[in-house]
Amino acid sequence: MQEDIFPLSELKVGQSGVIVKMNFKGAARQRFMAMGLIKGETINVERIAPLGDPIDFVIKDYHLSLRKSEASEILVRQA
Amino acid sequence: MQEIFGDDVDTVIADRRYGWINGLVREIVQRPAANRQTVSDKIDKIVTHRLFGIPIFLMAMWVVFKMTADVSAPYLDWVDGVINGPITHWIAALLGLLDLTGTWVESLFVDGVLAGVGGVLVFVPVLMFLYLALAILEDSGYMARAAFVMDRLMHTLGLHGKSFLPMLVGFGCTVPAFYATRTLENEKDRILTGLLVPFMSCGARLPVYVLFAAVFFPQNSGAVVFWLYLLGIGTAILLGIALKNTLFKGKEQSTFVMELPPYRLPTLRSIWFHMWERTSGFVKKAWTIIMATSIILWFLMAIPVRGEGSFADTDIDHSVFAAANQIIAPVFQPLGFGNWQASSALLTGFVAKEVVVSAMSQVYAVEQAGQAEAPPTFFEDIGGIITSFVSATGDTIKSLPLIVGVNLFEDEVEEAPTELMSAIKEGFETSSGGHGALAALAFMVFVLIYTPCMSAVAAERQELGMKWTWVSIVGQLLLAWLMAFAVFQGGKLLGLG
Repeated sequence: MQEDIFPLSELKVGQSGVIVKMNFKGAARQRFMAMGLIKGETINVERIAPLGDPIDFVIKDYHLSLRKSEASEILVRQA
Repeated sequence: MQEIFGDDVDTVIADRRYGWINGLVREIVQRPAANRQTVSDKIDKIVTHRLFGIPIFLMAMWVVFKMTADVSAPYLDWVDGVINGPITHWIAALLGLLDLTGTWVESLFVDGVLAGVGGVLVFVPVLMFLYLALAILEDSGYMARAAFVMDRLMHTLGLHGKSFLPMLVGFGCTVPAFYATRTLENEKDRILTGLLVPFMSCGARLPVYVLFAAVFFPQNSGAVVFWLYLLGIGTAILLGIALKNTLFKGKEQSTFVMELPPYRLPTLRSIWFHMWERTSGFVKKAWTIIMATSIILWFLMAIPVRGEGSFADTDIDHSVFAAANQIIAPVFQPLGFGNWQASSALLTGFVAKEVVVSAMSQVYAVEQAGQAEAPPTFFEDIGGIITSFVSATGDTIKSLPLIVGVNLFEDEVEEAPTELMSAIKEGFETSSGGHGALAALAFMVFVLIYTPCMSAVAAERQELGMKWTWVSIVGQLLLAWLMAFAVFQGGKLLGLG
């Protein structure tokens, strides 16, 4: 079954995605994973900052904000 | 391993570790069905609102700025008054008991050591108020929102959303601004912010601009001062972009992985802890640099090289200090202010920008009103300390409504003695070969850009380390010289002034 996979940064406010892949390596990857960004986790776009960047997500019941450039390295599928 | 898993080892280990933890949590933790709109969410709806977010942020920053710059001012004056009044009398009295009145020892203690102690202690109220504001912002959770709102703008300058606060505090005083960089987690962000902070023209530089603008540009002095502030901000922006693309290019890209924690009411205990811990940290670390500079400067001014003065009893223009400045002065010749008086003022400006104007009146030998009051008794002093503290508290409370009103220029303009103004005018006209106004402009630009005071350097060393402090000092001196050069020579070429 082939699913549509796209970068997290393309989700709109209110939409959710399930994390499929992260294009980070080493320390950066560890940091993201420590914050709960793990394969199979559902992530929801809560709001976007007034100037269009960063984005406020809700994952594991807490608020996490990421820049667009970072969110575009995280791939998700439609929840 | 790499071949089997198709990923490097660290990544695989991390994946497996967090995958396992995740599975474990899923198996054993039961969560209440969550989908409630909490109070935090409601606050966030307003605070990070598309339209209101930035105005709310600017208001919060304005309050912090006012707290460090204005609300702390009465206490600053009180500390200053206590040191220059009662404590000076007591030390003089104590030295009198040891039969040292009128000797160089008295002068060393009063003009050297006490000046150093004062240089450290006057920052205590400023820092206490900064840390009060920071503690409230951080502990309540608003700081994360402020970074969230401003990150886009600051990121284009190579900075972080949280860099805005130190920049703003820098308009009040550079010392707390350096300490405010501590809220940045990433080292690169912290250093870059620290390097740009001094270009936010601090409150103590204002009297210099005001005096010079009044002497040379009486018609549009307000505009001159305003443009100087803008020049500082513009320099920081350009330098930020330049540094981001050169010195900091290879550095690890800072990430913006930040939790927006739920709002909490800060506890008094933790606020007090922050205020006290961080302020006493400054006093402990900064006093050595400040004390050493004050004492060295005292010696330079006390040793005569010519004239009939003796040690600690010489006219300032006969001292080593003046002689040294005569050697430095030619460096400023291409900038239009190559006389020893101007370079003395700049050199003492390193001690504190507040003293540039008073150093000018000292070296231009303007008569100052002598103080001929009978020294008060010990008990009058104690009483005075207490009553003045109470009235400082009163002034602080009275100044709270001022937070809302803009009152930057009104009370700063002290009437400058007219003799000083004409002495400055004459001095600058002579040194610049008839282009006094251009030379004055170049001087103001130099004061804007060059190294902040020794207390700021002490704070910078503590926050950025020795290496970056030196980079910063040398860079500021070079940049100040180049920019003042451009103003003076460029202006002459264009036939202005």
